[in-house]
Amino acid sequence: MTTDRKGEPLIQVQHLGKSFGDLQVLKDINVDIYKGDVVCVIGPSGSGKSTFLRCLNRLEEPTSGKIFFEGVDITSPKTDIDKHRQKMGMVFQQFNLFPHMTIMRNLTIAPMKLQGRSEQEAEAEAKRLLERVGLADREDAYPSQLSGGQKQRIAIVRALCMKPDVMLFDEPTSALDPEMVGEVLNVMRSLAEQKMTMVVVTHEMGFAREVATRVMFMDEGYFMEENEPKEFFENPKNERLKNFLGKVL
Amino acid sequence: MIDNFKSAFYQNFIQDERWRYIVDGLGNTLKITLFAVVIGIALGFLVAVIRSTYEKTHGLRFLNLLCKIYLTVIRGTPVLIQLLIIYFVVFGSVKIDKVLVAVMAFGINSGAYVAEIFRSGIMSIDNGQFEAGRSLGFNYRQTMMYIIMPQAFKNVLPALCNEFIVLLKETSVAGYIAIQDLTKGADIIRSRTYSAFMPLIAAAIIYLVMVMIFTYFVQKLERRLRSSDH
Repeated sequence: MTTDRKGEPLIQVQHLGKSFGDLQVLKDINVDIYKGDVVCVIGPSGSGKSTFLRCLNRLEEPTSGKIFFEGVDITSPKTDIDKHRQKMGMVFQQFNLFPHMTIMRNLTIAPMKLQGRSEQEAEAEAKRLLERVGLADREDAYPSQLSGGQKQRIAIVRALCMKPDVMLFDEPTSALDPEMVGEVLNVMRSLAEQKMTMVVVTHEMGFAREVATRVMFMDEGYFMEENEPKEFFENPKNERLKNFLGKVL
Repeated sequence: MIDNFKSAFYQNFIQDERWRYIVDGLGNTLKITLFAVVIGIALGFLVAVIRSTYEKTHGLRFLNLLCKIYLTVIRGTPVLIQLLIIYFVVFGSVKIDKVLVAVMAFGINSGAYVAEIFRSGIMSIDNGQFEAGRSLGFNYRQTMMYIIMPQAFKNVLPALCNEFIVLLKETSVAGYIAIQDLTKGADIIRSRTYSAFMPLIAAAIIYLVMVMIFTYFVQKLERRLRSSDH
């Protein structure tokens, strides 16, 4: 396994719960994520996958439980969450690029304003990353001029420009036309090869099987089963997981 | 007929330097509008930020309540009544520049409308934009400043422009507290010369031209801001 399980976990989730009014979406979530892990979270819609992911950087405020990131309890009200979010890149289903800025500005505004990097420095880094995702020629374009697949690759680069320690992906290919899914997954695959720690909520079973170091099945607000991908897909134990895989594979 | 026109023009504008009523009045109208717009934008911006912060985060509960009262009272009563109350009641026993009173009254009035325009602009921006900003590590204020406000401003520009056109024309009631604005100036000429046509039409044309010039510049600005939509 590529996972380095020595030492402290990068993210520790303890008894995480989240309710929206009377609806308890997450019930008791416990998971340790280590440096270099590529965790794919799968499960039926409405099972709480996205809510779990959004709790990790507190875009959703957890109702109960604790989350430690790099040893710091980020659920504590005393924690400056903005500081820690800089180290947690997030990629959304709907891209959420800033439409009023050029691609270059989308990529450089956060490093320049938040990490005090100079314009040259931020642009050099952005160009290097654009090159890597094959969009070096689009730096002066606006988001509305790009295809969905290009937008999502830019969104990944925008998060990478902050040099994060973990990348969170919230169904990154679900809003894409089928022919554009591949280009985004390729970028994610190359990230995984460079040992980026990733938590990916996805419906792409092929990607999970191929790239993940761990696959987790979420249903009814719990992680029902977790395994390395081969075992997970070939030898599922949980009845609900068997049922789910039977439907999607 | 041309001779008639000439003599009417002479009588209404040249004789006794009556054109001064128009020019001085225009000066006051512009002064009131300009400063009222500044107050309106500042006040409206502040109220909109407080209101949308409350809607997004449930913070600033008390300030939000104050803002709601302000909006309800200002939008629920005629601007002329507000002007008269500020002049005769609030500053009734103080000697104060009437133009300043008008600036305050129209500024406070316009602020209420500008606030709702700004707020609708802020709320019209998809929440994903807000989340993207926060997920990068921007705090609430930075996210508003760099990501939400620039987009919101672009969206509300036409409505904002409309509000300022309304404001410019609304200042024509300033004569009620004996300010000699453009409307009052034209009306004074009418009362001296007993001819209504020339001075009133002249005032109307001046208002119209001002609005047209203003609209022209706003349209240019809109085109510039639209450079990111293709």
